[in-house]
Amino acid sequence: MKLRTRLSALLAGAAMSMATAGMADDLTIGYITKSATNVGWMMINQGASDAAEAEGVNLVTVGPAFADDLTSQIEVFENLIAQGVDAIAVAPADSSGIAPVVEDAMEAGIPVIAVDTGVSGAEVVSFVATDNLAVAKVQGAVAATLVEDGAPVIYVTGDPAQSTGQDRRDGFMEAFASHRPNSEILVVPTAWDASEAQEGVETLLNARSDVAMIVHAWDGATMASKAAMENLGLSAGDIKLVGFDGASDAIEAMEDGWVHANTAQMLYGMGFDGITIAARAARGEDVPARVDTGFFLVTPMTMDSYKALIGLE
Amino acid sequence: MTLETTTRPDHPLAGLRDFAIRWMVRFFRRDWSGALLALVVLAIAIELVTTGRSFFHPSNLMTIMNSSAAIGVIAAGMTLVILTGGIDLSVGSVMGMSAALTGYIVAFWGVPPEVAVLACLAIGAAVGTFNGILIAYWGMPAFIVTLAGLSIWRGAGHLSTGAQATPRLPDLFDWFGRANPLSGIRARFQEGTLPDFLMPLGETIDSLWMEYLRTFQMSTILFVLYFVAMIALVAHTRFGLYVYAVGSNEAGARQAGINPRFYKLLTYVICSMSAALGALMFLGRAPYARSDYGMMWELDAIAAVVIGGTSLFGVRGTLIGTFMGVILLKLIGNGLTLAQLDTFWQMVVLGLIILIAVGIDIVRQSGHAESVRRLLASVAAVMAFFTFLTPGSAVMGAWVRLHENNVVVALRAAGERLSGGHQNRQLSPEQVATAEAAIAANLWPALVFLGLTVLSLLLIRRAGAVWSLGLAALYAVMVVPLITMGYATATPLLILGAVVLVGAAITPAVFQRAHELGLDESPATEDVRRDSATEKGTA
Repeated sequence: MKLRTRLSALLAGAAMSMATAGMADDLTIGYITKSATNVGWMMINQGASDAAEAEGVNLVTVGPAFADDLTSQIEVFENLIAQGVDAIAVAPADSSGIAPVVEDAMEAGIPVIAVDTGVSGAEVVSFVATDNLAVAKVQGAVAATLVEDGAPVIYVTGDPAQSTGQDRRDGFMEAFASHRPNSEILVVPTAWDASEAQEGVETLLNARSDVAMIVHAWDGATMASKAAMENLGLSAGDIKLVGFDGASDAIEAMEDGWVHANTAQMLYGMGFDGITIAARAARGEDVPARVDTGFFLVTPMTMDSYKALIGLE
Repeated sequence: MTLETTTRPDHPLAGLRDFAIRWMVRFFRRDWSGALLALVVLAIAIELVTTGRSFFHPSNLMTIMNSSAAIGVIAAGMTLVILTGGIDLSVGSVMGMSAALTGYIVAFWGVPPEVAVLACLAIGAAVGTFNGILIAYWGMPAFIVTLAGLSIWRGAGHLSTGAQATPRLPDLFDWFGRANPLSGIRARFQEGTLPDFLMPLGETIDSLWMEYLRTFQMSTILFVLYFVAMIALVAHTRFGLYVYAVGSNEAGARQAGINPRFYKLLTYVICSMSAALGALMFLGRAPYARSDYGMMWELDAIAAVVIGGTSLFGVRGTLIGTFMGVILLKLIGNGLTLAQLDTFWQMVVLGLIILIAVGIDIVRQSGHAESVRRLLASVAAVMAFFTFLTPGSAVMGAWVRLHENNVVVALRAAGERLSGGHQNRQLSPEQVATAEAAIAANLWPALVFLGLTVLSLLLIRRAGAVWSLGLAALYAVMVVPLITMGYATATPLLILGAVVLVGAAITPAVFQRAHELGLDESPATEDVRRDSATEKGTA
């Protein structure tokens, strides 16, 4: 089944009733993504649809009208409960905001699996994600090896009001500061918005000529920083970039010498595992409460094996 | 500086004073004066709180201009639409769609970049015509048509490009953004291929490059040129005149032989084409083309227009005000980044500054001495409150931590199951001691500045010049304890508060004198007279 995103729950409902009409005994799994347009999410969604095919279940994929829109996620969620799907996999736009509907679903006997971002305030049968805090600590420790103690660095955050954004920031800060206690960390706060990231980085690079490295909470910001450096006439390597996600464009930038390290989430695997677990839960099997989908440290040394892994030329 | 001085025209400084008053009245009669005032005060504030390279360094100012450019041209188009009493909520989506499609056809269809640029502007023109026909000729509400457009064009952009990012675009696009017009001369100077008579120029450019010239980019140039062109269009053509006429009285305009529908249509076409130009300018600075560019830009553009003194109901407003509004928005972002303020505070501060800028504008329009005095007194109270916040937040933060700790301890004693959030809030004995010490150290300063805030709040309702001046003196005196108590960073706040209070004290006299000079032919004259009468009565 080819991955498709539908804008409204209405369409999802219609599609689902068509699908279930054809295959009466098959299980149907609702999958609510966070974004259909982000490169990283497209990889996760691909993994999800491949897993559905492998497990032989129907997958109804629905994305919010725009990225990280909680209201439309809740609406879609309620509709999926009403349609009586067999399991729901959700990547919450807001960890606590989604909790009430998750509780409703669990009470109605529909197992809920959280993918990528956890749910706080309600139980789920399984949480399938990268351990962001642990990976961000690796990112911080590796980043520390790239600069000398005392050299100022910039950190571009994700949404600090959200657990993924918090974990990545806290993990990086903790690990980096313990290895390079005298380095000043300048912060560019964003809500996963690349143009905010670019503006902030440009402002700081322009005010400070001593910045040695820019570390990012996601690879959209890595590409934004590269553009900011180009806008200021800097070349690859003048300031080291460190990414998070292992998105394909950031890996290409690593080949050209801009990016020096990247902690890649196993995005495809996260989507694949999430739907596999959801299918097993729908059949009533026991599933682990926490699945760590792991990570891959991409450096110029390990770049080729990572590229082979994600099928990049 | 009380009322007596205004009645003595032969005072030695009277000429200077009258000149200053004339100048002030002229300044505040401009629609954009609120935005400019906020801009200047904010810039000075940022300069005071940031360290390192000066905020006013030309290269930082040009960075602000560069990042204002794309949203700026869009806001210019929006200004025209709002002047006719309309609104365009679709600009962000139109910007995103035209950026994505332009990049897409260049990268994946092999279309020459020059053709793609024209196609981008054509997309803008087509969307604008569509909006304009529905609104002006079919009579559909602008809000609804463009709200639908907000969704339609965003969806269309995602659909047509598969929401995928393109590779890096050809160099031609740099000329809408990051290209520096001087970089060619510098490159040839470095190669030594510059003609001899240009060598000194090349050398100057090269030596100033890193410090000053590298942020002098096409974004800034196009941004300024576009506004100059639009201002000329509005000020010197029939089109500009008709835009204001349609906004103020559509039926009257029709009777005067103007075709209001056609001119409305035209403003929507210009607005959407501005969005397309904004897309090109954004592409000139961005890493690649994508269909999710320009999210929520419609709100930023409308905010810039309104902050610039343009009324949301049409008629009143200027493009130069919008220019300042855009820069004000971006300056806030730039300043907050430089100041490294906590993210959640940034959100709060951004909203407050917008409120203040629009507040200045509303009071300015009222032309009412008492409103101005009240505004100034409120600003002084806010300054006292900000001074209070430094010790006050320490006290309140510590108190909240202790209270939450006690709640968790009580829950635990009652045998409740504790969540992670609860456990985080339990303090170690050392943390309890730190919190108690923080309360003890900051309680008195907090209470003193809270008292000052309350006093200033009382002044807002009603007060004579003497009271205002007295409080101003108190503000100035409080600087000494402030520094001894270790809150020296808050001194500029108190000094600004004192200056504003002096302003509040002389406001009625200034209005009285302006009245005597015959500078107020506005309907507010009556109020000024009444106010100065009550002022005399209370003094």
